[in-house]
Amino acid sequence: MLIELNGINKTYDNGQPLHVLKGIDLAIERGEFVSIMGASGSGKSTLLNILGILDNYDTGEYWLDGKLIKDLSEKQAADYRNRMIGFVFQSFNLINFKTAVENVELPLYYQGVPRKKRHEMAMEYLEKLGLTAWATHFPNEMSGGQKQRVAIARALITRPQIILADEPTGALDSKTSVEVMQLLKRLNQEEDITIIVVTHESGVANETDKIIHIKDGIIGEIEENKAHTAWDGSVMK
Amino acid sequence: MRELFLEIAGNLRNNKLRTALTGFAVSWGIFLLICLLGAGNGLMNSFMGNIADYITQTIYVEGWRTSKPYAGYQEGRMVELDETDVTWTEGPRWAGTVGNVTRQTASTGVTFSLDGNTVAGQISGVFPEYREQNKTKMYAGRFLNPDDIKERRKVVVLSLAQAKELSPRDPEALVGKWVSAGTVSFCVVGLYYTDESNMYRTCPIPYTTYKGIYDTSDKIESITFTVDGPETKEEYEAFENEYAGALRLRHDVAPDDRRGVWVENGYTDNMEMNDAQRIIRTFLWILGLLTLVSGIVGVSNIMLIAVKERTHEFGIRKAIGASPAEILKLIISESVVITAVFGYVGMFLGMIACQIMDKTVAQEAVDIGVTKIQMLVNPTVGLDVAVEATILLIVAGTIAGAIPAWKAARVKPIEALRAE
Repeated sequence: MLIELNGINKTYDNGQPLHVLKGIDLAIERGEFVSIMGASGSGKSTLLNILGILDNYDTGEYWLDGKLIKDLSEKQAADYRNRMIGFVFQSFNLINFKTAVENVELPLYYQGVPRKKRHEMAMEYLEKLGLTAWATHFPNEMSGGQKQRVAIARALITRPQIILADEPTGALDSKTSVEVMQLLKRLNQEEDITIIVVTHESGVANETDKIIHIKDGIIGEIEENKAHTAWDGSVMK
Repeated sequence: MRELFLEIAGNLRNNKLRTALTGFAVSWGIFLLICLLGAGNGLMNSFMGNIADYITQTIYVEGWRTSKPYAGYQEGRMVELDETDVTWTEGPRWAGTVGNVTRQTASTGVTFSLDGNTVAGQISGVFPEYREQNKTKMYAGRFLNPDDIKERRKVVVLSLAQAKELSPRDPEALVGKWVSAGTVSFCVVGLYYTDESNMYRTCPIPYTTYKGIYDTSDKIESITFTVDGPETKEEYEAFENEYAGALRLRHDVAPDDRRGVWVENGYTDNMEMNDAQRIIRTFLWILGLLTLVSGIVGVSNIMLIAVKERTHEFGIRKAIGASPAEILKLIISESVVITAVFGYVGMFLGMIACQIMDKTVAQEAVDIGVTKIQMLVNPTVGLDVAVEATILLIVAGTIAGAIPAWKAARVKPIEALRAE
């Protein structure tokens, strides 16, 4: 089991307590392509942040690749994020004053990989995603789809166990959205990377093999979707 | 290290305005610090130079009228020092503390005349050491020498002001000429320089010559000697009290009768001057540091804003694996690099400004009536100060970066990512 959550609770306390996650139990196998689906406010983003060790939880246990992720120091958390997790965000989160290739290199910088080596690796990943020509361009010179592919390259470069994608198509048009989802699907199949996508769009969730519905901080139905028939195409984004 | 530097260089290049503003704050601070210290040094050099002319670092002892009755004598008695006091001062009792001892006779008023020109003067018998101890500056010719003493030569040193009276057209030509002083004639061997106050009318002649002509007794006017040993004012005062007390008793003067035997010292004056110098220097440094503090606050301020602006970026960095220490290192290093580079620029410009001051303002002398003084003498700062300033800069850069860096490092990645 790559990811195991046992009774995760999370309460935000901004003035008045807000119980966001109310006992989440979840298991995700290595190599799965999963989506977490829910309306806004359902707690899906909080869940993703906990999975990504960007946020902590109050009670329960989170096991990642056999390690208990609890009460980590910032340094340890940073190290786990760096080596085990790749992030893909809705708003890409590229550093604006760095070129595409420099953005892709950055995780390796924090691993202490020598400059030359990481440049080579970054170019390799950009090539894999068809962005060789854009390597020296800055994010604001690229389209949304290109930016998201740069972000995916950055997430892949450390060969993480999991890719966590938070609304990866949220800022993209429908055609590009399809391309990005196809790319994630291909990475899952060809590279055997575990991918977890958080989304509120049925069309996006339908591309994944398993759909975990979350509502009001509780896991609802877990839908097997190997045939990608969960969505009939009636609700377009 | 190179990695970090390239990372910083990239960050700075991509935030040119911020870098320039921060840099300016630092450069300006250091520039002012250096200018201030340079001008301060110049003022102090000038002040010390002007005062040093009057400070002799010697002890001067002279007899005068007693101010209180003692040992059966009434007050108001005239005390006269004599040759035995000199021997006693040089004697074993004060060995180790008293250095070179010299003496001076009383003076006799005469009128010098040459070719119908006349000028008044006070002839006094002295030794060659007189010149050093009174900081006499020679204008022409020479001062008295040991041969003059030995051979009881009839030679005299006049002041430049007197020479101008006797030989208005060419005062220098007076050197080597004989001038008459009443019934005696003296050969002028040198002219000493006086300021325009015309206060110094003493005309030194050899001690032995004076004793042969004007006063054959062993009485003397004053004893002058150097001291070494006392390092603090207190130590010196203890010595002076012991010495003067003993000397007063030799002449049946109350040991605490300061007027009966008058002691004047340039020694503590010198110490006081050193103290004053230290105080001024400290004061200048404090002023300079306060200026620098405003620079540091400026950097810190800009760094704070920059950190706020870059919170999202730090969030991204943290998400992909930057530890808080990495963020801390990044910001502090940026701050240190900015302060070091721009501080160096400011220091360099400050040095240039000092040189310009040296070439312009420092060349002008201000006429204060009595004499002319230079307001600034060598208004520059030394290499030691430059090194100190550099160390200061690095410390300053660290301080300026520390608070914002700590703030940035502490923000949780999830909060940082949410920031826009």
